[in-house]
Amino acid sequence: MTTTLAPYLAFARIAFLQILAYRLRYFTGIITYLVNVTVYYFIWKAIYRGDTVIQGFNFPQMITYVAVGWIIRTFYYNNVDREIANDIQQGHIAGKLTRPVSYQWMQISQAAGESLFRLMMFTVPTGAVILLIYPVQAPRSVSSSGAFLISLLFAFVIFAAINFLIGICAVYLQSVLGLIRAKYFLIELLSGLVIPINFFPDSLVRWSQWLPFQHISYMPLMIYMGKVGGKELASVLLVECAWALALLLAGKWFWHVARLKLIVQGG
Amino acid sequence: MSLIEVRNLSKIFKTFDRKEGVWGGIQNLFVRQYRDLKAVDAISFSIDQGEMVGYIGANGAGKSTTIKMLTGILVPTSGAIKVGGYIPFRDRNSYTRTIGVVFGQRTQLWWDIAVVESFQLLKKIYNVSDKDYQERLETFDQVLNLKRLLHTPVRKLSLGQRMRCDLAASLLHNPMILFLDEPTIGLDVVAKENVRQFLRRVNQELKVTVLLTTHDLSDIEELCRRIMIIDKGRLLFDGALAELRERLACKSQVLLELKEPGKVNPAALGLNSDIEFKQLDEMRCQFIFDKRIVPSAELIKIVVNSLPVRDVVLEDTTIEEIVREIYSRGGIE
Repeated sequence: MTTTLAPYLAFARIAFLQILAYRLRYFTGIITYLVNVTVYYFIWKAIYRGDTVIQGFNFPQMITYVAVGWIIRTFYYNNVDREIANDIQQGHIAGKLTRPVSYQWMQISQAAGESLFRLMMFTVPTGAVILLIYPVQAPRSVSSSGAFLISLLFAFVIFAAINFLIGICAVYLQSVLGLIRAKYFLIELLSGLVIPINFFPDSLVRWSQWLPFQHISYMPLMIYMGKVGGKELASVLLVECAWALALLLAGKWFWHVARLKLIVQGG
Repeated sequence: MSLIEVRNLSKIFKTFDRKEGVWGGIQNLFVRQYRDLKAVDAISFSIDQGEMVGYIGANGAGKSTTIKMLTGILVPTSGAIKVGGYIPFRDRNSYTRTIGVVFGQRTQLWWDIAVVESFQLLKKIYNVSDKDYQERLETFDQVLNLKRLLHTPVRKLSLGQRMRCDLAASLLHNPMILFLDEPTIGLDVVAKENVRQFLRRVNQELKVTVLLTTHDLSDIEELCRRIMIIDKGRLLFDGALAELRERLACKSQVLLELKEPGKVNPAALGLNSDIEFKQLDEMRCQFIFDKRIVPSAELIKIVVNSLPVRDVVLEDTTIEEIVREIYSRGGIE
């Protein structure tokens, strides 16, 4: 087990080091996230004027939802799709395929290394600044914060696995930039980052239950706030785990098929 | 049984013809006319353990595609490859442990971090023990002078330095076979020599089988006894370099530029009768000769001493010319 895991830990480590070379980018990132939270703060403030509760959220809860949503996004976010598309279009994939490791796990462990870096250098400082400025509520209970952390791990895996699937499309498409952008906005919306999913029309809420996206942002936040608990909590975590596994397997299968069609450009 | 066995190997890429213009662009969206491009066309060869083989051909001849199939990156369209008992594409995971690969055009080291970090990663990937790792690094250092490069980020290395590091990286796990795709491309004379010297030692002392592609005939001359020539996906020649030389007169040429316009009388120079002469125009003429019969220095000496010469250019046979020669003869025989 140690010998099979060791290469992937090494990939995570090297991704961490690689980002360290670009650390400056992250300090500007903190400001971007701060601005985002500020914008949503004032939007929701305007919406809540007069109303005390909308769809089960009062104003402090809504601010918590928005702020924590953006803070955790610094952790689960990655650019695996872009990395893969780049590998395929620039032909770097050739060198990577000469290594005795799974390409999928190589990408995901690199994303994990990146996320670990973000957690330390980005999530924590951004979180601290946001907590100082805005009235963010603490997690509902000890158990909900534990479950929240577990669901965050699933959010990372689900996000990375979706990105892997999108990236592999580059084998078939000349350019995947459009697809990557479309996915970006789709996930911002359907993950519940912008608006809590129960604010959507009923039909969309129903659909959303059968999609993996709500487990990236909405469900972890509902767990954080204690709106999902008890028996429901266990089943939500189970569904998240199932989605993570299913998407990983789908990626494995898709890559297996796409590799037959792979053309390596240049060199 | 040979280490590398290739039988009737082909790779066909599907490409489509793009129509031009706005209307053409719209048509492209809906109707595509696919065309088969035979990158590698039914080639067969075998390579024994310990051999060092040069694989040459012009750009787009199919060299890289062959290498990519041999290394398990691309799946063959048809035909069979067996390397050390493995089928490269199918057995990629276990097979790649036994080979080393270097692409001259792009590094496999991590760009923004120190070289040693990439080495450490490879050590983990291939599960190399600390002792072996140190020993190998020591051995490579003797020829490649790696030690002072190890703590430099890859992006700050020169092309030659980077290639030295890439070579070492490809051998850290002690592979049976080393595949090199254009290892000397873009290198200066000193760096080229360094790479060649290293490859010679790897082949002779570490007994690694080497297959290298190149544009540069001098790589082959210095390193390989055996060469394979590929053009338009077909194997044109497979044998000893000396044999190729013998079968094809390898002609070199000297181009002369005269100081003043005039007609040169070759007979007056008293040259060997095997030397072909052509007056290109009033100012320039050309001698085509076989280096094995007439050393170029001798020819140049005679010419410079007896003619009003402004400039002399000596050109050796290029791979392109050899390939053209093979074609014009309708094959090698």
